[in-house]
Amino acid sequence: MPRRIAIQRSVMAADEKIAEKIRKDLSKRGVLMLNLIGSPGSGKTSLLEWTLKDTLFRSVVLEGDVATSRDAERIARTGTPVVQINTRGGCHLEANLVEKALEGLEMDGVDVVFVENVGNLVCPAEFDLGEDHKVALCSVPEGPDKPLKYPHLFMRAEAVLLTKVDLLELLGFDRDLFWKDVKELNPRAERLEVSALRGDGMSDWVSLVQSWVRAKRP
Amino acid sequence: MHELSLVGAVVESLEEMAMEKGWKKVTKVTLRIGRMRQVIPEVMIFSFSVVTEGTIMEGSSLEILEVPLMSRCSFCGEEWEGLSFQCPRCGSDQVETVSGMEMDLESVEVEE
Repeated sequence: MPRRIAIQRSVMAADEKIAEKIRKDLSKRGVLMLNLIGSPGSGKTSLLEWTLKDTLFRSVVLEGDVATSRDAERIARTGTPVVQINTRGGCHLEANLVEKALEGLEMDGVDVVFVENVGNLVCPAEFDLGEDHKVALCSVPEGPDKPLKYPHLFMRAEAVLLTKVDLLELLGFDRDLFWKDVKELNPRAERLEVSALRGDGMSDWVSLVQSWVRAKRP
Repeated sequence: MHELSLVGAVVESLEEMAMEKGWKKVTKVTLRIGRMRQVIPEVMIFSFSVVTEGTIMEGSSLEILEVPLMSRCSFCGEEWEGLSFQCPRCGSDQVETVSGMEMDLESVEVEE
């Protein structure tokens, strides 16, 4: 006769342990880690290119993609150390991949680790990478209904960025609806509107990152 | 899409436990999964049947207990179910999630 055995532990226990270790190690060094999550083409890499121009903090970047090193090449052009993680079909990053990627980077003097997750609104929200904050990106062309359609990410994000706002008028984007839904899911999230093309909102975004960096410093 | 990773993690940890505890066969696995974890039970069950092939879990059944999303107002104590994070009674945004984020291995049935 089979016997029932109660287990009661997280399915991702092994990976969560790695995430906790990453969080502890980075905190000891006073390094901030941000996990950028958004659809393919939502403007994650463009946001980073813009952010990395700012020399007030020193950054390293981990680029998650299913294939190619195109994003890493774009980041490398800014002079920022970058590691490309190819998931070979995997739809999200996991802490064990991040741990390996961090091993290859010189962390002395670094203030921020930006992790650009695989472009996807669903799976990346599910996996703790050891980050301090998740940052959700949604671009104007995606339409204003994404927060309610993919609530988990927007619930857990510390900041929500509406990107490509230079297209607001052209596409007739209902920004009131978008922000109303975001507020309902996550009343305390930071809410920013940015355009990497024109630079709208970029100084607010950089100030937000700076405030997080300051909060991490010992 | 992430169901396959989750199933992979379940199978890996059960294989470890089986080695440790000397289980001969696992006949049933029960998971508790919160509503917010974006898991499609059918995809999970199909992935499980594929990943467990050739393991001591081959042919076992996978049961998924769904846990509803419940929130509680830290201000007035009101509790409610569903996708709203503002208290329906007092309007406060000081809201904690009570359940709905679970992703737990609840129990197994084994032959020893």
